[in-house]
Amino acid sequence: MMRALLLAWSLGPLLWQLRTSFLLGEVLVGGGVPAGGSPWTLANYRLVLAGDPSLARVLLNSALLGGVTTALTLLLALPCAYGLHHLHGRPRAWISAGLVGAALFPTVLLFLSLLQLARWFGLANHLLALALPYTALSLPLAILLLRAAIADLPSELEDAARLDGLNALQRLRRIVAPLLAPAVASTGLLVFLASWNEYPIALTWLSRSDRLTLPAAMGRIASSSVFTIPYGPFAAATVLGSLPLLLLVLLFQRWIISGLTQGAVKG
Amino acid sequence: MKGLHLDGVCRQAGGRPLLENLELRVAEGECVALLGPSGCGKTTTLRVVAGLDPLSAGRVLLDGEDISGVDPALRRVGMVFQSYALYPHLSVADNLTLGLKIRGVPAAEREERLSRVLSLLRLQDLRPRRPAQLSGGQRQRVALGRALLRQPRIMLLDEPMSNLDAQLREELRPELRALLSGAGHPVLYVTHDQQEAMGLADRIAVLDQGRLQQVGDPRELHHNPANRFVASFLGRPAINLFPPLEGRQLAVRPEHLRVVSGGGLPARVVRAEWNGPQQVLWLDTAAGLLRLLWPASSAPPDTLRVDWDPEHTLAFEASGGDRLPRPDPAWNGDLIRFLQH
Repeated sequence: MMRALLLAWSLGPLLWQLRTSFLLGEVLVGGGVPAGGSPWTLANYRLVLAGDPSLARVLLNSALLGGVTTALTLLLALPCAYGLHHLHGRPRAWISAGLVGAALFPTVLLFLSLLQLARWFGLANHLLALALPYTALSLPLAILLLRAAIADLPSELEDAARLDGLNALQRLRRIVAPLLAPAVASTGLLVFLASWNEYPIALTWLSRSDRLTLPAAMGRIASSSVFTIPYGPFAAATVLGSLPLLLLVLLFQRWIISGLTQGAVKG
Repeated sequence: MKGLHLDGVCRQAGGRPLLENLELRVAEGECVALLGPSGCGKTTTLRVVAGLDPLSAGRVLLDGEDISGVDPALRRVGMVFQSYALYPHLSVADNLTLGLKIRGVPAAEREERLSRVLSLLRLQDLRPRRPAQLSGGQRQRVALGRALLRQPRIMLLDEPMSNLDAQLREELRPELRALLSGAGHPVLYVTHDQQEAMGLADRIAVLDQGRLQQVGDPRELHHNPANRFVASFLGRPAINLFPPLEGRQLAVRPEHLRVVSGGGLPARVVRAEWNGPQQVLWLDTAAGLLRLLWPASSAPPDTLRVDWDPEHTLAFEASGGDRLPRPDPAWNGDLIRFLQH
């Protein structure tokens, strides 16, 4: 019973959006079904896919940006986390405290200064340039998550590798990184999700319609008309925008679950 | 000077001494067991020899060469960890050869050395398996194989049996013994199990609180302990310690107590532990609880009188626990008379 309620609580709005996306605009605002017709339609999907920019293009932009951000973040976070794990005493405590502070900082406060930077360096309207601030903002949390996962690995494994003659970089690449796969997958997904959802920086950095990311494009759809709220197209865009994430989660499900619960119980 | 020599080795961590002035020699082909309670510095000693932990004073000498500052990768030390520390994501073959690959040993030689070690340890059929697909005994053999493949100049084993069940442990002991003694390098073997130490090692080094208490062959440690710690740590059932008297403490091993019809100490049997070959009787006496060995087949009486040959009495300094010369037999008699009242 509790489970059913919980499921309705979290899945309900999604299912409602799905229903909305297939309904005619007239039906949505309380008008009747046109005589002799069905209330169901694919018009909303056609509209967002044919719009300017096409939602397909927008999704591609977001996926590309998310992929680059995730790859860059993981590539930097893994060695940082590994190095931090091997630091001792005061430096480690200070750096960790700094990372927690940075991870907790509300990023929305940064978008004005970031916009200034984009102007100086001419980064506006370059889609992949957004990966720079996104990576910078995701790094603290990613480093902390990966460091916790590294701390859970038995230290004798690294000792054994040292005796086998592996230097720090070889140990990271051949022993630590492969064993961290679940943690890397779940951290990567969180980073990708953050990039997928980010609105204020994308809104201020990008203006050309063929460069828009999903949140910025959704903002345009929502404000496309002063007189009506385009519920139908908006719902269709929402459904299409969440499909890639659903796919990612399904793909990495096994790893992500083991990654999120890592350390809860000693193996 | 061939073999391993720990020359005044000290290690401190966090202001706490973990090893104090450790002096130990292990000859070529000799197996020395480091025995002691947990936290006594056994594993630290191994890690210092392997170079995984730094030492704060002293030297580690191997065949006369000071290796204290040498990188662990270059020491050619074979080590078997307590957890075995096999790489979980690699097959048995890759676990064994990773070190050789890193060192740039040619594939043909790698293969040859690998198959030699695999057949020595009877692991040929397990080559493609991952550690998770192996039993405890097989994992131990793989860990041993990884250490042997390095062609080590010294072998270090950290409680390699502690993850195995008691029966398997006993079965593997002779096998391990044969493997270790065959290779001709010094072997340091850490254990907290005295049976294992006696069964495997040529000599035993007893450690407590980072200090070496005594080194010697099992018999010597048993019959001639250097102090009270060694006397009470070794031997099961544990030695009987009498209450301290005039700055001395006397002790007698349970197997040296004898039952007498007259004289001696009157005792009441509190408990009998039957363990197969014999029984251990717990006796309530004026000297406290004493342990006595009793034949397995006969039922013990409720009360009896015990005595012992003064020749078997061990005497220790009551405060520090250092061994004292064997007391005068008359003094022994005095103790019994004292206790009788």
